[in-house]
Amino acid sequence: MQKIIAIVEDDPDQRDNYSDALITYGYQVETFSSKPEALECFHKRLPDLAILDIMLNDEMDGGFDICRELRMLSPNLPIIFLTARDSDIDRVSGLRLDAWDYLTKPVNLQFLAVRVNSLFRIAQAIKQQSAGAAKNNQLQIGDLLLDSDSMSIKWQGQDMNMTLTEFWIVEALAHVPGIVKTYADLMQVTRQSYVEKNTINGYVRRIRKKFKELDGDFSNIKTVFGIGYRWQAGEQS
Amino acid sequence: MLRSANVEKPVGQRIARGLSIRSKLLLLVLALLLIPWMGYYYAQELKQFLLKGQEEALLLTARGIATVLHDRTELFDPATGVPELVGEERSSFVNRLSQNIRLDGDDKDWITDSYKSVLFNGLGATQCSVNYDPDSFSYRHTFGYRGANLFALFHVWDETLVYRDLNFRRLDNSDHIRVVLQNPQQPLQHYLVTARRPGRMSVYRVDDNWRYPLTGDPVYDITAVMSDRADGYTVELRIPRHLMKRETRIGFSVVDVDNEATREVERTIAAMPTGSEDSLSRIMILSPELVKILEGLNRPVARIWILDTDQHVRAVVGEMTGQPGAYNVSQRAPLRAWLVSVFDPVLDLFFATPESDFMDVPLDVGERQGEIFTRVLAGESQAQRRPSIDGRAEILMAAFPIFSGERVLGAVLVEQSSNEILALQQIALKNLTIATILVFVFVATAMLLFASNLTLRIARLRTSTELAITPEGRVQDNNIPVATSTHDEVGDLSRSITNMLKRLSQYTRYLEAMPDTLAHELSNPLNVVNSSLENLEIEIPDSRNSKYMARAKNGIVRLRSILTSLTEAANLEDALQTEEQEKFDFVELVTGCVDGYKVSNPDRKFDLDIIHSPLLVLGSADHLAQMLDKLADNAVDFSDPDTTILVRLQRANDKIALSITNEGPLLPEAMKDRLFDPMISVGKKKADKSHLGLGLFITRLITQYHKGEVSAANKGGGSGVEITITLPLAT
Repeated sequence: MQKIIAIVEDDPDQRDNYSDALITYGYQVETFSSKPEALECFHKRLPDLAILDIMLNDEMDGGFDICRELRMLSPNLPIIFLTARDSDIDRVSGLRLDAWDYLTKPVNLQFLAVRVNSLFRIAQAIKQQSAGAAKNNQLQIGDLLLDSDSMSIKWQGQDMNMTLTEFWIVEALAHVPGIVKTYADLMQVTRQSYVEKNTINGYVRRIRKKFKELDGDFSNIKTVFGIGYRWQAGEQS
Repeated sequence: MLRSANVEKPVGQRIARGLSIRSKLLLLVLALLLIPWMGYYYAQELKQFLLKGQEEALLLTARGIATVLHDRTELFDPATGVPELVGEERSSFVNRLSQNIRLDGDDKDWITDSYKSVLFNGLGATQCSVNYDPDSFSYRHTFGYRGANLFALFHVWDETLVYRDLNFRRLDNSDHIRVVLQNPQQPLQHYLVTARRPGRMSVYRVDDNWRYPLTGDPVYDITAVMSDRADGYTVELRIPRHLMKRETRIGFSVVDVDNEATREVERTIAAMPTGSEDSLSRIMILSPELVKILEGLNRPVARIWILDTDQHVRAVVGEMTGQPGAYNVSQRAPLRAWLVSVFDPVLDLFFATPESDFMDVPLDVGERQGEIFTRVLAGESQAQRRPSIDGRAEILMAAFPIFSGERVLGAVLVEQSSNEILALQQIALKNLTIATILVFVFVATAMLLFASNLTLRIARLRTSTELAITPEGRVQDNNIPVATSTHDEVGDLSRSITNMLKRLSQYTRYLEAMPDTLAHELSNPLNVVNSSLENLEIEIPDSRNSKYMARAKNGIVRLRSILTSLTEAANLEDALQTEEQEKFDFVELVTGCVDGYKVSNPDRKFDLDIIHSPLLVLGSADHLAQMLDKLADNAVDFSDPDTTILVRLQRANDKIALSITNEGPLLPEAMKDRLFDPMISVGKKKADKSHLGLGLFITRLITQYHKGEVSAANKGGGSGVEITITLPLAT
């Protein structure tokens, strides 16, 4: 069955480009140019995944509003913000609304397809887990539990709310404890078209913050100044 | 954001130069000193005005008197005049006698007028011999008129009294009195008064030599009575006025004969030693009726003259000299009285009090030839001023003709001194001076207070204006608190500065948001290009290998890089606000970063020179690394390939000093201070890199966040640039 992807984007060129690419990758695409238009349709039928721009026409936070509505309609619907807004505040607000990922323009369409695919897999895994399926693709590293299927992370047994990009970074670091992942490596991992050191630093900063919220003593991600980061396995492991 | 460091300095200096507002206002206050000057001129004008008024009043008086005398021709009849003797020139008039005179040889009747008597003796007189003794012969003489007669009293001291002997026809061989009358253009009339015994005396008209009577008959018009005393004799003489014409001259002399045998004239002493004409004094005809009329019209401190057409005085009343109305201090309010008493002694030094005791004398005939008389007797009313004889006062004169029908009978002349007005003027000037001093002090104080207040407010405004903008040019407080509530110009100024600052901060915000907005706006079309290229690759797989596709993508990467740096600064400022600080070894960070630079910049040689280690720092490692990145990028950008970039890290005075030196073009002197401002880029640009000039600005933001400093200098050798960062050491 073809997955339905909803794209809400006020710029017709970008909207059609996303749509064309995703159709090429075999998805069914519904496009909307405004918030009311999108919401009207979502109330009738939910898509399998939504890609939202935040600023819609003259509504500064139109995308956030749609996200909130969608979250009420379905708690497990994968939502990606794809926006030109690159500030920490926007990222935080987006993720607080339980969006699954936050991408900044310009986006690499190939990477976008990969992400979409990953998110569908996660959604699938979550569905299966809730149905009681076996957990076979799990990796325990110290207190850290990585689930490659649902792309979820548990720290000391507690669920963590990570975006896809964040999961990939933690996964990349934790898979090779003690070994430095350079900025270049991590840039690859994020699967974004244009990533700077600062962008990586930003991701790591947010990841650390999330760990520290659970565990104040968290210090497993070490900075190797000027080069990158490495996962420091805890003393107990 | 402009650096205002070079704008800041002149502000303080500007005020020091030139005069302050306070001094200027005080200088202006000095203009108040023009008030006394103005007042003086005003007082002068006022004086002229008052004098004019006084003249008018005098003219009115003159006119009034003249009106009373109109058509009273009889008053000007020469016959009605009583001759009055004017003695010496410049002496007073002989007045009406206050008592009736009984011709009895007794001088009791004269007692009240005795003060008018004049002592005559032979000293200095011509007809006295050398061995003259004043005790042997002298006399007192009084002269006056009463009713229609002139009276003369001779109180003679004579050792030997010689009476007339009827056996002698010659009349001058006994003690006698000589009377000379001269009517104009007529020969002298000589009257000799002699006595045979005390009692009624005989009067004869005699020849020019005073020897024989012209006729045998005595003259009965002139009457004289004699009485003898132990030390001499007394003679009372009466001359009826009909003997007198206008301009009649009269003269008296007393003749002494001591030897009864020889009966020689021993001495002759004239009563009226006059200058010119025959020892005779002038006679003025004074109309008693006129005087009576005038006395009713008498004014204080004024003298009224009546003149006839021949410019002869017919009547004179009043005295000009007298006290001008004294200014009574007690009538004033106590405060004013006190002020006057304080200031008066000082003011008296400057203002002469007008003289009340000036001297003036009746007009002489010669002086009466003036234009005023000619004109008034021609029928015109006249007013004129003249100084008093001694020059100490000014005298106003007003003259009005007296008419009889069309004919001018005579003139009224009223004289008054202007002293009263002068006194008023002086008082006005004094009061004005006092008032000016008070006003000056008051206004100067008020001005001083006002100016101080104004200066204070302006100074406060200046201070808060200066404080409103940081040295970096950032508006930190766009509300100027000083006097924004007051509605004057200073309030307006502070309000408009507030507005200006608001607009400036809006503009600054706009400028600061500009890169972010720009980046955001550009990233959408960039995304269109990017996604279109990607779709193109899918649609036309061959395009994937095209070199143009590669270049287009490279262009997108560069555009994206520009957009990232545009937003970086703005995002950084936000991020730093929420950043948590940790303590870490700065040496480790620098070492790691420099290792990274070595890898990413293989065409440069990085030398790391660590002099002290470890150097702990409290802050954000990520951002300090970001700062290092910017500095390294900068050093790479401004150096040639295969040169060495030296990174030196040391401790200096409890601070961490990091310097990064590259070989390459020097900094222009003028740019050194501005190098760390946003959008400032110096040196040659490399075509394949973006130079927005934000890198060093980010460096500054991060150092400032860590309470450090950043500076740039040209290297000593003159072949490179050294950028130094100092950061506080963590304790």
